[in-house]
Amino acid sequence: MSSVATGVRNVAPSRSKKRGGLRNKRAVFLLIAPFGVLFLAFYLVPIIYAVWESLQVIHRDGTFGAPTLVFGGLSQYALVFQNSDFWASVGRVLLFGVVQVPVMLGLALLFALLLDSPLLRGKRFFRLAFFAPYAVPGVIAAIMWGYLYSPSLSPFKLLTSQVDLLSGGTVLWSIANVVTWVYVGYNMLIIYSSLLAIPTEIYEAARLDGAGQFRIAWSIKIPLIAPALVLTAVFSIIGTLQLLTEPEVFKQFSSTISSTYTPNLLVYSTASVPNVNLAAAFSVVLAIATFILSFVFLRLTQRKAVQA
Amino acid sequence: MAMKHIRFAAVVALASVALVGCSTASGGGPSQAAACAPSKGKVTLNMTTWVPGMDKVVALWNAKNPNIQVKVQTGPNGNSGTYQNFFNELKAGNAPDIGQIEYDTLPAFRVQGGLQDIGACAGVQAAKSEFSTGLWNQVTFGEKSAVYAIPQDSGPMALYYRKDLFQKAGLSVPTTWDEYAADAVKIKALGGSITNFPKGDVNWFAGLVSQAGGQWFSTSGGKWTVNLTSPESTKVAAYWQDLISKKLVSTIPGFTDQWNNAYDKGQDWTWVSAVWGANSISSGAPTTSGKWAVAPMPQWTAGANVSGAWGGSSSVVFKGSKHPAEAAKFILWLNTSSEALTKLNEVAQLYPASTAGDQLPALSQPVPFYDNQPIYVTFGDAGKVISPFTWGPTMTQTYSDVSDGFGAALSGSGTLQDALAAGQAKTIAALKAQSIPVNG
Repeated sequence: MSSVATGVRNVAPSRSKKRGGLRNKRAVFLLIAPFGVLFLAFYLVPIIYAVWESLQVIHRDGTFGAPTLVFGGLSQYALVFQNSDFWASVGRVLLFGVVQVPVMLGLALLFALLLDSPLLRGKRFFRLAFFAPYAVPGVIAAIMWGYLYSPSLSPFKLLTSQVDLLSGGTVLWSIANVVTWVYVGYNMLIIYSSLLAIPTEIYEAARLDGAGQFRIAWSIKIPLIAPALVLTAVFSIIGTLQLLTEPEVFKQFSSTISSTYTPNLLVYSTASVPNVNLAAAFSVVLAIATFILSFVFLRLTQRKAVQA
Repeated sequence: MAMKHIRFAAVVALASVALVGCSTASGGGPSQAAACAPSKGKVTLNMTTWVPGMDKVVALWNAKNPNIQVKVQTGPNGNSGTYQNFFNELKAGNAPDIGQIEYDTLPAFRVQGGLQDIGACAGVQAAKSEFSTGLWNQVTFGEKSAVYAIPQDSGPMALYYRKDLFQKAGLSVPTTWDEYAADAVKIKALGGSITNFPKGDVNWFAGLVSQAGGQWFSTSGGKWTVNLTSPESTKVAAYWQDLISKKLVSTIPGFTDQWNNAYDKGQDWTWVSAVWGANSISSGAPTTSGKWAVAPMPQWTAGANVSGAWGGSSSVVFKGSKHPAEAAKFILWLNTSSEALTKLNEVAQLYPASTAGDQLPALSQPVPFYDNQPIYVTFGDAGKVISPFTWGPTMTQTYSDVSDGFGAALSGSGTLQDALAAGQAKTIAALKAQSIPVNG
């Protein structure tokens, strides 16, 4: 966003005289001020504060000496890289992401294509029906599914008494199901809106060339909406690394969710100790990892697009 | 997941969302203020607690003390969120004047520099005679002139059991842990479970360890010693691991709807719990009214009479309060006057910590839910035989690490003994991270 703002600033003086440029500058400043203030207060300042916290360690004298914070360099980061729970939790969400993200986006793409095809009737109804779960707050959705999975409270006892959906081996996929249920509709809508932006003449041309609906979808629609797919994939990767709500709620349904189940849960429980400095270091590492992962994904997909 | 917020922002900004949730807490001011001078004029005190109905108790005080008005805010149980709020508020410098803290977490708040020493405030030292030596030691850490909290309630443990089911099955109430394990087999054969082993209630487990004579922490020579793997602690863990391995106990997370359901439907037959658990059963399993009874805890050696404690809270004045004298005056009234203690027992079934509170008429009354048994008498007797227990300075961490290990044991990987060993190592690491001197 800030890059957009600089762009505007650079363009403005070249177009108008100096006074007009000044006025433009003021207008630009005024218009981006609300965003800038919020961005500063809720993104930049907390990030800087977290980095600052992560560079400190606690010192005290005696059993109950008063704590003082001193600069500790990167010693908290050394602890992060030695912490096996942290890496186990990162591995867990990566496994989750590798399975859940493709399934969710595949379903979202399928639903979007169905909504866009002339074959389906009652489009308005389905559009709303697919999107409705996203309107359910995450915590509520997790609680609801928790009840459905629970062996003693579920209305589907025939299933839940046979298969333990909340055991160590299955609970990760039970959570994946909840996340998929919530976010399929949201991703579908992004893909669907980009399908609507495709000019209809292209379809006409394809039909004249003798392409059927399936061929149009495969050879025209999907390549043209590739940017939307990349966008939803990046959002999903970020969301996966930040899993918190569902496992936190599932703690009350399953004994197998530990306080270090996902990276964010680990950050949360470390901050509760309270060991803010280590929690801050975890967060910084997690943020950088998320950034790198998103960046690498974008790079890979863009190169692919260029080659194609 | 943060997906809802990120629709319009750039990837760089998005990646940083992870940073935002975690940037507060910890720290605290240094030096203890010894003096405790009263403030002039009208004073308003803020108080945060999770005792249900506390507003009704405070209303009694506010009506009589126009110059010291108390505002109550209620939150979730300490370990379910209120402690973290306190830590954050202390770091931000806007903690309430008065807070509720369980005995096991007092050291953690002291280590973070969060507690105001009210030893110099009027009436505080004199209150010593109102409490048992063990409890008073918990709030003074054994120091001569310092007082960091006023005890509110205590959590002596006993055995809640389904009298009707035991009678029907021809079982007598178990008085030793051996009998308890034998009954577990018989109850399993009848399709029930003798009790539930909750992975998250590590403080409950600590109560069992204290009954067995174990200690998890001690201090000497300015250093902590962590001893989660003491022989007594290991004995208790092995006992429950055996019941878990044989699938004789249910393993539902405690205080959840599933857990309520297990008691309400008669799936689980007993609960070794604290006095305040009486309220948990009557509210969570309302259809079992009149079917429960309370007996002393099973013993490790036949004929012995030892109990443990689970929970129990104190009232503290937080660092940064502008009116410590008034706050101390209020929490003394709250926790030692028969007026306040009677009301606390009426609205929240609290069992008063003060020795005079023992004599409240309400505590000898029959309780209808427990088939008119005067259950508080049994708990009062248990309270007299609690073996004292020393709490560590990072209990939140110890609880969550041991609980993670318990969870693994319940799902079949590892044992409770492994969980204690892991908890031991992680607690020592946590103390070192806080720069607290520790052996090992």
